[in-house]
Amino acid sequence: MSASTNSVPNSSTGSKKSLKAFSDDIWKNKTAKINAELFTLTYGSIVSQLCTDYERDFVKVNNQLFLMGYNIGMRLIEDFLARTALPRCESLAKTSEVVSKCAFKIFLNVTPQVGNWSSSQDAFSLFLDENPLSDFVELPMDAAKELWYSNILCGVLKGALEMVQMDCDVFFTSDVLKGDQTTELRVKLNRVLKDEIPAGED
Amino acid sequence: MAIYSFWIFDRHCNCIFDREWTLKTNPSSGTTNSKLNEDTAKLLYGMIFSLRSISQKLGSLDSFNEIRTIATAKYRAHILCTASGLWFVLLSDLKQEDLSQVLRYLYSEIYVKTVVYNWLSPVDFAETANEKRGQGFRKIRNRQFLLAVEQFLGPMVN
Repeated sequence: MSASTNSVPNSSTGSKKSLKAFSDDIWKNKTAKINAELFTLTYGSIVSQLCTDYERDFVKVNNQLFLMGYNIGMRLIEDFLARTALPRCESLAKTSEVVSKCAFKIFLNVTPQVGNWSSSQDAFSLFLDENPLSDFVELPMDAAKELWYSNILCGVLKGALEMVQMDCDVFFTSDVLKGDQTTELRVKLNRVLKDEIPAGED
Repeated sequence: MAIYSFWIFDRHCNCIFDREWTLKTNPSSGTTNSKLNEDTAKLLYGMIFSLRSISQKLGSLDSFNEIRTIATAKYRAHILCTASGLWFVLLSDLKQEDLSQVLRYLYSEIYVKTVVYNWLSPVDFAETANEKRGQGFRKIRNRQFLLAVEQFLGPMVN
């Protein structure tokens, strides 16, 4: 066991409360804060610039946001692990909990609800009641149909999960900006990747 | 207190950084990034790899039995394995019981801040499939990183 696992909540007993307390502590003590409005507006101007650059081809904008997020996620996972010292999750249920209560809490200070599990337990949804990216946002008519405004989040999750050997599909299925009731982000686990072993060892 | 060498292995089984200190009187001597493809790096990797596999098999399924240190008659290897597949390894004398805090500092304050936050530095050091599975040759050359490692570990060498 790594040295710091002692401070990490155990998965089996009372994990909900302690994981929350654990994340609150990291948010309070180990996270540099920036102004939320500045963050929201900066993201907004990126999206709006992309819409201009891609001549309002919103499929391309979605892809580009996803790619930007993917590159962020690949790096952000190291930051996350450095702060939390969490080991790999033993189940997708645990992963969903860590993502919502720990990762979203530390980086965005929100805690999405986990739900809508698939029957085979290989996919779940995160319901973003609050989304710091989309405060003040109203989509223009032409964008409301195709643009997934917060698609960068999907990329971040995809990149970060891939770095801990979970090959997932991550996508939005609804967004309040489009007039839906909820903002739902779906995570589907395709497979758990194997750690590499040196050539000639297998 | 004596530290002999510091190694980083990435998720592709490649040694992406090594620093060996030799002269006790002169901490700036020794070598950096010279042993990446030598047997020492591969054997060190192999030893940790094997012991790590065994320790994980000995542990129960719901708790991770991660390897921390390996001691021989003269050396102690201190190991930090991250969930993302990075290994940080320090070789020291036997007086060092536990350098896990040092390793954690190297990871969270030095590696993350100078390599991960640095957008000009890759986070994946294998650029093609041929460089994976221990066949890679790229290494951390980032000056900030080298400097920070030197400043942090230098005083502990002797």
